[in-house]
Amino acid sequence: MIRALVLAASIVMTLSAQKLPRTVDGQPDLQGIWSNATITPLERPADLAGKQTFTAEEAAAYEKQVVERNNVDRRTGNAEADVATAYNQFWYDRGTKAVGTRRTSLIVDPPDGRIPALTPEAEKRVQDKRAWMEAHSTDSPEGRTLGERCILWVTAGPPMLPGPYNNNFQILQARDQVVILNEMIHNARIIPLDGTPHLAGTVRQWMGDSRGHWDGNTLVVDTTNFSDQYAFRGSDRNLHLTERFTRTSPDTLLYEFTVDDPTAFTKPWTAQIAVTRTKGSIFEYACHEGNYAMTDILAGARAEEKKAGK
Amino acid sequence: MRTKLGMLIAGVSLLVSAAPAWAHHAFAAEFDSTKPVKLKGVVTKMEWINPHAWIHLDVKSEDGTVTNWMVEGGSPNTLLRNGFTKASLPVGTEIVVDGYQAKDATNKMNGRDITFPDGRKLFVGSAGQGSAPPDK
Repeated sequence: MIRALVLAASIVMTLSAQKLPRTVDGQPDLQGIWSNATITPLERPADLAGKQTFTAEEAAAYEKQVVERNNVDRRTGNAEADVATAYNQFWYDRGTKAVGTRRTSLIVDPPDGRIPALTPEAEKRVQDKRAWMEAHSTDSPEGRTLGERCILWVTAGPPMLPGPYNNNFQILQARDQVVILNEMIHNARIIPLDGTPHLAGTVRQWMGDSRGHWDGNTLVVDTTNFSDQYAFRGSDRNLHLTERFTRTSPDTLLYEFTVDDPTAFTKPWTAQIAVTRTKGSIFEYACHEGNYAMTDILAGARAEEKKAGK
Repeated sequence: MRTKLGMLIAGVSLLVSAAPAWAHHAFAAEFDSTKPVKLKGVVTKMEWINPHAWIHLDVKSEDGTVTNWMVEGGSPNTLLRNGFTKASLPVGTEIVVDGYQAKDATNKMNGRDITFPDGRKLFVGSAGQGSAPPDK
């Protein structure tokens, strides 16, 4: 049923896309600055189990509820929650709308809208990593997350997901290459479209190695060769990520991605986000220029150790 | 000094209903939830830097000594996107900062809420309202 709906939607989109702009090279024109901000969660919340889509009224009520819940100007009196919230609502830009399909999760497959279970080996790897991080979180910068270390941002991808702010990416096209610039940590992927093969399996990169091709009006980007240290929701070095970009109207782009990693997940899974064109600029996010937090965190841990007489 | 350290801990509730906290880094690892700070001072500098902007201010104590504090805000991209300019917070502006002191006990704190002395919020804008639609 879902697949039939998705197929039907794809056909409609393909038809309408034929009227959409093309580049001078005749390719579908995906260029522009796009926002993927949405309040729709990646995974379907437990209290919405079994409910794949909202009615228009339900979506409006859900949007209102989530926007209220996300409003950090409402202080709870809990000091720990308060300090973790960091700053006031001004700084957050999570969006206010559910995705246009009114689906209750970004994940469209499996139908329960949840990330499939990890394999036992992956589960152990994730637990071991978590335990190591907890034991060494303030020993050195290496104990902090990749985001705190300004190496990768967890939602900048690939794959690209909405986060708390700066939910923007820009697409630039040439005949044989596509560039995707993500605002968070200003990652830019330069993706060959000329059919050259992936790098040798021994070459591993933080953002993997992306290769693109056109499937009708859809740009398909395959990414492999991820670093051992990159783990997207429990993925490992065997992650094969497939992203699909389809322009569905002058102001909308359907972004889909499939995570296929048989040594990490018990089955592949797919998410969809209808992203919207946005004006304005992509601003530089030169993460390390003033990353005082790293030294503050480590100095804080040393001060606490001293206080405890260690 | 007009700072009130450690005296402002509200009743701790186990029910955390706040939004998922998600700044660039774990503020809970950097700042001490047992050291709430509220101070009034005069802006001496604003650093428009990533991943988070920092405001510097001088805080004068009752005996006249002046201490410089650094206050951590959020992504400078948000400032740009909301039309905030360097003229928006000139040196010399008096502000009130409510937050928590750094765990290393230096004069750094997060700006959980920042207001002008009359109570108006310093950082207000359209953030959280989604990005602007394209021009037609």
